[in-house]
Amino acid sequence: MFAKIILLRNMKNFKNYLLIGLIGSAVVFTSCGDDDAPDAENDPEVITDVTLVFTNTADATDVVRASAEDPDGLGTEELEVKDEITLTSGVTYTLTFEIFNNLETPGEDIGDEIKDEDHEHQIFFSFSDGAFEDPRGDGNIDNASDPINYEDEDSDAQDGSGNPVGLVTTWTAGSVLTGGNFTVRLMHQPDEKTATSTATTGEPDFNLPFVLNIQQ
Amino acid sequence: MVPIELDFMRMGFVHNMVRIRLTVILIVLFSAFLSFAQTDCTKKVTGRVLDKETSEPLAFATVRVIDSDKGALTDDKGNFILTNICENEFDFEVRFLGYKTVVHHHDFNNRDHVDNDHIVYLAQDENQLESVVVEGEEIIGDLQSMAVVKIDRSQLATQTTQSLASVISDIQGVTFNSTGSNVQLPVIHGLYGNRILIINNGVKHGFQNWGSDHAPEIDIASANNISVLKGAAGVRYGPEALGGVVLVEGNPLTLSKKMYGNVASGYETNGRGYNVNANLGAGYERFSFHVGGSYFKIGDRNSPDYSLTNTGKEERSANVGFRYHLPKWDFKVYYSYIDQDLGLLRSSIAESGDRFSLSIAAAEPLFIRDFSYTINEPNQLTTHHLGKLEVDWHSSIGKFSLLLSQQINSRKEFDVRRNSERPIIDLDLNTTDTKLEWYHPSFGQLEGTFGIQYFAQNNDNNPGTNTTALIPNYNTHRFSAYAIESIKKGKSTYELGLRLDHEYNSARGRELNQDIFRNEFSFTNFTASLGMVRDISDKWQFRTNVGSAWRTPNMAEFYSFGQHGFNVQYGLWRYYTNPEGELRTDRVLTEEDGVTKPEKGYKWINELTFKNNENRFTVTAYSHFIDNFIFDRPIAIIGFFWGPMPVFIYDQADAFFAGTDITYSRVLSKNLKGTIGTSYLWSRNIEKNETLINQPPININTELSWKTPFFLGLTFSKLTLQASYTFRQFQAPRTIAPDQIINREVEINSESEIFDFKDAPDGYFLGHIRWEWKQGKFGGQVEARNVLNTSYRDYLNQMRYFADEIGRNINIQINYSF
Repeated sequence: MFAKIILLRNMKNFKNYLLIGLIGSAVVFTSCGDDDAPDAENDPEVITDVTLVFTNTADATDVVRASAEDPDGLGTEELEVKDEITLTSGVTYTLTFEIFNNLETPGEDIGDEIKDEDHEHQIFFSFSDGAFEDPRGDGNIDNASDPINYEDEDSDAQDGSGNPVGLVTTWTAGSVLTGGNFTVRLMHQPDEKTATSTATTGEPDFNLPFVLNIQQ
Repeated sequence: MVPIELDFMRMGFVHNMVRIRLTVILIVLFSAFLSFAQTDCTKKVTGRVLDKETSEPLAFATVRVIDSDKGALTDDKGNFILTNICENEFDFEVRFLGYKTVVHHHDFNNRDHVDNDHIVYLAQDENQLESVVVEGEEIIGDLQSMAVVKIDRSQLATQTTQSLASVISDIQGVTFNSTGSNVQLPVIHGLYGNRILIINNGVKHGFQNWGSDHAPEIDIASANNISVLKGAAGVRYGPEALGGVVLVEGNPLTLSKKMYGNVASGYETNGRGYNVNANLGAGYERFSFHVGGSYFKIGDRNSPDYSLTNTGKEERSANVGFRYHLPKWDFKVYYSYIDQDLGLLRSSIAESGDRFSLSIAAAEPLFIRDFSYTINEPNQLTTHHLGKLEVDWHSSIGKFSLLLSQQINSRKEFDVRRNSERPIIDLDLNTTDTKLEWYHPSFGQLEGTFGIQYFAQNNDNNPGTNTTALIPNYNTHRFSAYAIESIKKGKSTYELGLRLDHEYNSARGRELNQDIFRNEFSFTNFTASLGMVRDISDKWQFRTNVGSAWRTPNMAEFYSFGQHGFNVQYGLWRYYTNPEGELRTDRVLTEEDGVTKPEKGYKWINELTFKNNENRFTVTAYSHFIDNFIFDRPIAIIGFFWGPMPVFIYDQADAFFAGTDITYSRVLSKNLKGTIGTSYLWSRNIEKNETLINQPPININTELSWKTPFFLGLTFSKLTLQASYTFRQFQAPRTIAPDQIINREVEINSESEIFDFKDAPDGYFLGHIRWEWKQGKFGGQVEARNVLNTSYRDYLNQMRYFADEIGRNINIQINYSF
């Protein structure tokens, strides 16, 4: 303090102004504090709840639901697959999804996000071999060209032709099965989704292994 | 923060009463010191003239006071005396046949010059080095007892596309920690990140200094020299200097220097990079200036076997400095700007544990595309502005130095994700650093500095990332006062430094559900340093220093929460272990939870040097205890919607480091010089008695340089061969592959022994060849790095999980200087 004052008095006028200027700018520098929190962000990466909805094509009141939940998103709590899928043999179902981020209130519909960016997304499936009459086989996670009944296609596909998305698919349950598996995998394939992209192209948004039962 | 603002306010509008009292005090003081201001013709200047390269004395060199008939010749020890000087300020020049003439402006008002013991280093005409004059004993960073290594302009000029960390990694005990070839952080004796203070142009570089994926934004082309202090220099530079300090000095803005300039350009084969840089400066009687600029662009690099997709880099920078000199006064203004686009390896992104497993097990990265200059995600866009004003006053009661600086750092990071066109991290960091120092006059053999400092940072997240802010908005205010005193007794100089810091922090962040959390906390800390330098003989010198330093955990260490790159990370205040031993993240902790303490380091460093005409030998030995050492480590693999993910946490434990650096160089013949060096570091978590992670392995390197006579008729031609061997890190933690955790073959909890996901890479041998030449005003070099095209992975590179290091790179540089 003492030193600075000597400094101040010993100068000719213009230097005096200069120093006041310097110190003034220091005051300006220091007064830029604020107390704001970051803005709230709409976080489309976070999915906390996915429900598979199987609707009987012949009877819209016959609905089978199975869900998976990760209540704290990126927190330490593990993903939990809550329900087994139990279908009826010979019945044809339309499979749709309810995909939500419930960390926010009200919950945010991530399904809409995916629909908006359908040219970057595809859902792949794998299941116990022969569990369904239609499609046959074990699904397209291991081999992308294996049959799946996609009922939708993307809107602005990069290679010109619409490619399947998988938000709507149809399934005809096969013969009785207990403790089989049914895995759904949503892949995010920015700039990579083509007619030949596979279940390992891009990055998974979710990958959920359900237990599949088929009853008489 | 309030007190200092008021202080400055008062200074700006000095009260009338205070003015009158001060005038009285000043009159008394001035009459007391009047005698110092009188001019007479009895002043003298002494000095020594040495060859810059060999440090051998030059006899019969001419020293002449410009615009006068006064002059002298050096004696057989290179000593000269200029006597009967009347002016308070004058220029003198030093000439010697076959060497570059140098002009020096001497100012008797400058306290540093009172001893006026000049050392004039003359460089040979054909040499790439510059002649320089050093006044008094050159003390880097005022801490004489600390081990220091300096890299000067001539060594930096040919490495302008390198990172700061890579340039200084030739120094023993210094290496770098990296996230690919573009993001490199200096490591000194095993410590990196915010334990290494980077001082750029006298100002602490204010940047996003957390994790291993944020490198300091400093342009090598703008640096005049770089020094590395290997001790805990917290006393002089403030918190965070636990591991050491990197001092980047800009152009010295020398007065009385003819206009000089340099234009350089180059091409490198690996990444097809090209670069250009230019600078211009001049010094007059009262005024000097310097301007410089640089641009470079590098495309995808390649390892010996494959292209490293998305590893390009683009950088532009500019700097300008002015100095105005009055008797007893010096004013300096400096501004620099840098703008970078840094590509990160595309294959380093793994949004799931399955992908991560696949990536780290694969022999080649999963994404290999043809060469391109285009930089896509993941990448980092940064800009950095530094403005500085420095006023020195050489008064009769010592030298006062006032420094005001402001930095604006902006950083945007892009990830491969659903909204990849939006940055996932978008931060603006404003840094204010204000310092006032007083170098008091010598009281007998006692010399010293007192300083006060105010440092503030304001970090803001810019909206629109579509992701919850990884680190919060925060403000930091720090007030510091320090004193460093040294006393010379016979052959020894003793040094004591003390410092007090008070730091206040305010942080505001958001939880995943977008609820706001807030916290305010402050720390007060005391640091000290005690050292000694002893000139045992004219050949042997010994330095020893015990220093302490501290730092508060940074905001990322406290609060990081979320996914970035290939992992999920939880900061110290974002997780806890519940009574069942499970990791939980459902609340944000505060200091009241008592889980976090400031990190405090105590480092003892000793250095013994031997120097004669043929040999130069340096051995540095150190031990370093760090209380509450903070480190990040893998802790688990947790199942998320998209699959199992590797999770890292920040953890705290007491740690101990000990090691040694050895360098020996020998002049083998007139034109042949050899150097051999090694560094060894032992480190351990002594609280849990287990290894630490990401510590530098043992390294041995050798260099042979040969000045080839009359090659192609060039006036200067030098060939340098370098070879180094880096050992496998045998102190690495055990390895647990991600698959083993995913498949529950190994159970891990927060008390489990530390582990890593992949083995430390094998040791490797690297060879480099460099040829430098000079002809008149032109010069240049051809350098082949990794000349044997060795495939290897570096333990300190995060990308070691995914890809090899870059292969052979031939770099051609040409420059014109005048």
